[in-house]
Amino acid sequence: MNVVIMGCGRVGAQLAALLEEAGHKVAVLDTEPYSFRRLPAAFKGTPLVGDGTDEEYLKKAGIEEADAFVAVTQGDNRNVMAAQIAKHVYNVPKVVCRIYDPIREELYHTLGLETISPTMVGAQLLRDKVVG
Amino acid sequence: MVQGGESVKYTKFLVPVTGKKADDDIVRTACVLARRSKGKVYVVHVIQVSRALPLDAEVEPETQSGENVLANAEKIADMTDSQVETEILQARETGPAIVDEAVERGVDMIIMGLEYKKRFGEFDMGDTVPYVLRNAPCPVLLWRGPMGEAEA
Amino acid sequence: MYIIVVGGGKVGYYLSQALLSEGHEVLILEKDAAKCDAICEQLGSVVVRGDGCEARTLAEVGTERADMFIAVTNEDEDNLVACQVAKHKFKVPRTIARINNPKNEALFKKLGIDVTVSSTNLILEHIQEEVPTHPLVHLLTLKGGDLEIVEVKIPPDSSVVGKRMRQIVFPPDSVICLMIGKWGPKVPTGDTILEADAQVVAVTRPEAEGALRAALTE
Repeated sequence: MNVVIMGCGRVGAQLAALLEEAGHKVAVLDTEPYSFRRLPAAFKGTPLVGDGTDEEYLKKAGIEEADAFVAVTQGDNRNVMAAQIAKHVYNVPKVVCRIYDPIREELYHTLGLETISPTMVGAQLLRDKVVG
Repeated sequence: MVQGGESVKYTKFLVPVTGKKADDDIVRTACVLARRSKGKVYVVHVIQVSRALPLDAEVEPETQSGENVLANAEKIADMTDSQVETEILQARETGPAIVDEAVERGVDMIIMGLEYKKRFGEFDMGDTVPYVLRNAPCPVLLWRGPMGEAEA
Repeated sequence: MYIIVVGGGKVGYYLSQALLSEGHEVLILEKDAAKCDAICEQLGSVVVRGDGCEARTLAEVGTERADMFIAVTNEDEDNLVACQVAKHKFKVPRTIARINNPKNEALFKKLGIDVTVSSTNLILEHIQEEVPTHPLVHLLTLKGGDLEIVEVKIPPDSSVVGKRMRQIVFPPDSVICLMIGKWGPKVPTGDTILEADAQVVAVTRPEAEGALRAALTE
């Protein structure tokens, strides 16, 4: 699969490494070149400096041929906007979007985005550790 | 009041009441001061209307309890043989409503009460009193309730 | 009408002032406490501190009874999300978003925002109406007077036609902000190819004007 990841934080970089290990072709976008230090030294994918809410950079990252797009920047709204561009403008078959705010996550989920709220998931996991 | 010298004349008092314990003391104080200067006391109760409703919405339980609060103020005034004018105001925020009312009525003094209250473990004045202190054009007399009583 | 304005910057402030003077009920949502205080001082109790994208804040300020919802922050993604939350969660009949990057206009429309306002495009429309055939037109002098916005139309016989932006040597302190070609406005990058008859909007210093015109038209 061709995968475009927007946001090279801990999660983005880890995901890029996992996907590459599994044999996928990965491009990672981040506005801050320093973020790419988190990628494994042997990373063979494409790290690209650019804003994933800007179609020009999405195209450079190969959004037109992508089979999947993942938005994992620190900004919920940036993730939401980029994911909607990937889904509705470029018709990427699989689009996943991280949204910290659970209420916003629920809304965009009902609007048809595939969403994950680490706030919700994290709190539930911790609860299970505490009372489970 | 100052004896022998030129005493400042306060004749119009605005007393915002909330239904808390301080009400009796501030209404009584205002009445006593007004009687000396043959002045007038306006007692107002501000209902803060949630933005989910239009400002002029009919907020029934609040209006009813506001009327009770004002009736109590009239009773206190009666006991000092004074008359007060009462009014219920609907506003988005209490502080600005009090200041606007003071300006509109051209009062010379606002007398307001403050419960001694703690929030997150610390003494807390809320938003209304600081706003009025910062923005009222006239002198403000603040009556702070005793410590301990109002702590829930 | 009850109108909610997200963003208490200059645009939000003056917009709200105008709406209030027309007799509308207006509420500004602004994240910054100092801006909230300043607005409250000038316009009264018409501001609430909060995030215009958060459903909880929007519920508190009665978004479900709003007739119009206008998002005018400096961030396009925030304007988009605020309007989408207002529209889909609170069923506000009319949502308006300010767009800072003109590229986003089509996208916002596609994603269901009722009205988009792009100040760049508004300026451009005026330019297109007013531009005579002179190669360089002054559009605006910026604060302080040592920078100006100018527009240059690229003549078909210019040596830059067909070249990429990065191949052209511009005078110092001159920045090409916008190119309006056959396919509409575009924020140029180093790879952008200059087309004949394209209109180029640039910021420059008055003393570099001649050199800029020469760089684009000769």
